[in-house]
Amino acid sequence: MRKPLSLKIGVSGVRGVVGDTLTPQLITSFAAAFGTYCGGGRIVIGTDTRPSREMVTQAAVAGLLSVGCVPVELGVVPVPTVQLHTRTLGAAGGICVTASHNPREWNALKFFARDGVVLRPNQFEELIDIYHQADYPRVSAHEIAVPEIDDNAIGIHRDVVLRMLNVDLVRKRRFKVALDCCNGAASASAPEFLRALGCEVVELSTDPDAPFPRDPEPVPEHLGDLRRLVRESGADLGFAVDADADRLALVSERGDALGEDCTVALAIRHVLSQRPGPVAVNVSTSRMVDDVAAEFGCDVYRSMVGEVNVIEMMLACGAEIGGEGTGGVIVPTINSCRDSFVAMGLVLESLAMEGVTLSELRGRMPSYAMVKEKVPCHARDIAPAMRLLKHLYRDEELVTVDGVKVCWADRWVHVRGSNTEPVMRVVAEAPTTAQAREMVRGVIEYLRPSG
Amino acid sequence: MRELKIGSSSVRGVVGDDLTPELIVDFACAFGTWVEGGAVLVGLDPRRSSTMLRAATLSGLVSQGCEVIDFGLCPTPFLSFAARELGTGGAISITGSHNDGRWNALKFIGPDGALLNEVKSEELLDIYHASAFLRGIEPRPVTESCPDGIVRRYLEHLLSALDVEAIRSCAFNVAVDFCNGACAPLASLFLEQLGCTLLPLNDRPCSEFAHPPTPSVDNMRQLVRFVRRCDVDLGAALNVDGDRVAFVTGSGDPLSEELTLPLAAVCRLARRPGSIVTNFSTSRRVDAIAEEYGERVIRTAVGEGRVMERGIEEAAVLAGEGSGGVAALPTSMTFDGLLTLAMVLEAMARERCTPAEMVSRLPELFIRKGTLRCSTDQVYRLLETYREEFASANTDFSDGVRVEWDDAFLHVRASNTEPLLRVIVEASDKERAETIFSDVMSKGRGIAAGSGEG
Repeated sequence: MRKPLSLKIGVSGVRGVVGDTLTPQLITSFAAAFGTYCGGGRIVIGTDTRPSREMVTQAAVAGLLSVGCVPVELGVVPVPTVQLHTRTLGAAGGICVTASHNPREWNALKFFARDGVVLRPNQFEELIDIYHQADYPRVSAHEIAVPEIDDNAIGIHRDVVLRMLNVDLVRKRRFKVALDCCNGAASASAPEFLRALGCEVVELSTDPDAPFPRDPEPVPEHLGDLRRLVRESGADLGFAVDADADRLALVSERGDALGEDCTVALAIRHVLSQRPGPVAVNVSTSRMVDDVAAEFGCDVYRSMVGEVNVIEMMLACGAEIGGEGTGGVIVPTINSCRDSFVAMGLVLESLAMEGVTLSELRGRMPSYAMVKEKVPCHARDIAPAMRLLKHLYRDEELVTVDGVKVCWADRWVHVRGSNTEPVMRVVAEAPTTAQAREMVRGVIEYLRPSG
Repeated sequence: MRELKIGSSSVRGVVGDDLTPELIVDFACAFGTWVEGGAVLVGLDPRRSSTMLRAATLSGLVSQGCEVIDFGLCPTPFLSFAARELGTGGAISITGSHNDGRWNALKFIGPDGALLNEVKSEELLDIYHASAFLRGIEPRPVTESCPDGIVRRYLEHLLSALDVEAIRSCAFNVAVDFCNGACAPLASLFLEQLGCTLLPLNDRPCSEFAHPPTPSVDNMRQLVRFVRRCDVDLGAALNVDGDRVAFVTGSGDPLSEELTLPLAAVCRLARRPGSIVTNFSTSRRVDAIAEEYGERVIRTAVGEGRVMERGIEEAAVLAGEGSGGVAALPTSMTFDGLLTLAMVLEAMARERCTPAEMVSRLPELFIRKGTLRCSTDQVYRLLETYREEFASANTDFSDGVRVEWDDAFLHVRASNTEPLLRVIVEASDKERAETIFSDVMSKGRGIAAGSGEG
């Protein structure tokens, strides 16, 4: 029998393939469970632009109403907008309908606590327990709420981010920005945000009703069109966000894709140059962060992969800035999540303050080559693989906060089970691409079952 | 007992633990599978719980690849017309209809505009029970408005079945109690075209109904007071989704909902010869009208789906029930309160008489209704007893036991919604009705666990 591998219920939410494992029945029940977990009250709900958005949103609204919650519908908005609005509104919780960087046939529910942070593992476990017991306190007909429609969330989000920036300074540079929204959730709001910063915006894929024109993960190999657009339009830089606009990747004025791990490194460098302090990133994030932090004499704390883990680490060590190498920049005082608006703002402010081009700014940080691979893998096979690796590299420096990370003086390789897909992720960083690729290949070869 | 009733073209239940969004999603998926991906219209009544049912319904339908057109607040008969007119795969009307505010339901309408008949309902239930929903389909976006001109076409369709000139020439004043339901906007357009002045009552759609939504003498007290204060020719009480109607005379006398069908028959048979279909429990007053025109009354088991289906089969010109639900065939595929109201206006116009005068021409009949509470397995034993008892009389056993005498009828049947028997007796003599009724009830009580009268 084929195992259904396309449903993944974990700290990143309830994620699956629409029309296969992610059914409206499942979504309705999970929303009812979440409404139960929140104990009623207002629940903010927003969505990215996937074709299944209505199916998933309506199912969630039905589930929430059935347990006496008041859904506050934001429509198509970036995921950080939902998270910020949950906190701003004093809502009981938030739901975002998005499978982030997954292909369009996927979708998911992401759950946020009242502070706008993704449910922590213990909170999520409680939600799962409620779901499994399936005994939701349904309200009677006269207690069912009228859903609210809220169009202000984007404006509030924009203003909150603008308030932390030196807007005048950025406006003076009159940046020309090529922007690739992947026809995703920021298609309307990101161009508007950049114009508020005095940018001339050259738009690419900003039609929320059109299908994703590319794989939504903003990695260099998916950014060919944006790179061309930057060169052809003579833009100062290019921004690419993913479908739910929490992650940001950069393209230089020369049309080079910088690699999404540069985003967080540049943002950290900019913030530390103003206000030095501790930094938190996940264990798979580039060494660039260590180099940048060393430049300002700051400490780097490394957490497990996953937005919530980074945020918890940031709160624990009092970091003002942090994030993930996948292009996710987090400034908890503004928004307790990865926020591409925050990232865009910091990058533009940094360019304006230093008066340089993006390639020049990039040149001020060291370069490493990073190679990422994913290997299909059942959840049950992950722990044995980790034991094997620990044995293989028993004489090296090991970091085991999340999977196994093996570190050498100028390179590292990290292997862990994915939170979102039935795969094992293998990431290596080294001075050259060939070296990094060799490390990844070595690990995969070693883990491949013999025979 | 769970207050959930699945069957005869609808899923009906008390919102909360019984009627859950998961159940609605499942049924919407089953319906989406049943229509095989065709377009599906969705309409709803103003109950707040309808919003929840709507969200669950839309989600289920689009998950099956249906093109969904969300009509929003909308009467069931209009949705039925649109489903047929637009060549759709069907429609779902979200409405608790005549049930009180705790309840809600999905009514399933096929591509012909009619409620699903028994065969189609069974197909739907088979899909539901097997959870045999379509998979691997990419959902389409929902269209959130009625297609242009569909309201105009509906009104033209209704008007084509009426003697519009006759009604216009009378310039009637009509008071309508909408029970805060979905009909007010359509009704005001419709009555305007009939040259009538509408005096609306409870015309603001909202979740808190001014009174229980079943059109009945008890629930028309507010309308009666309203009519007595105004100068109107007719008062009408529509239920929330506009399929049932009952009347109040110009002088403010409430008419039983049992009179709706005979009054409509006066109009219909005068214009178009043909038979009338109704159910076994409905008053025989309609037989008197049919007799006047030399037409037949055909009786079926209780339920709009069954009555309408038989009406279509028999090419009848009118179908209806004692509940106040009436359809002019072949114009309507479901009961239509607005058209029924207009038929009564037309009868008043052409016969040049008031509703009270029309009623006075009907034979005086006395109805006695009651229930025998009994467990499900007692139901059949009881029915068997009655069958034996009346074996020598003129009987029909297709829906419980119906016995027909020259001056009376008796109908005993199992309720569709509760574990009890419904007993109804009608006779031209009050005492005769009482005698038959008390015999049946005392016999039943001997066997059943308990009983109630109503």
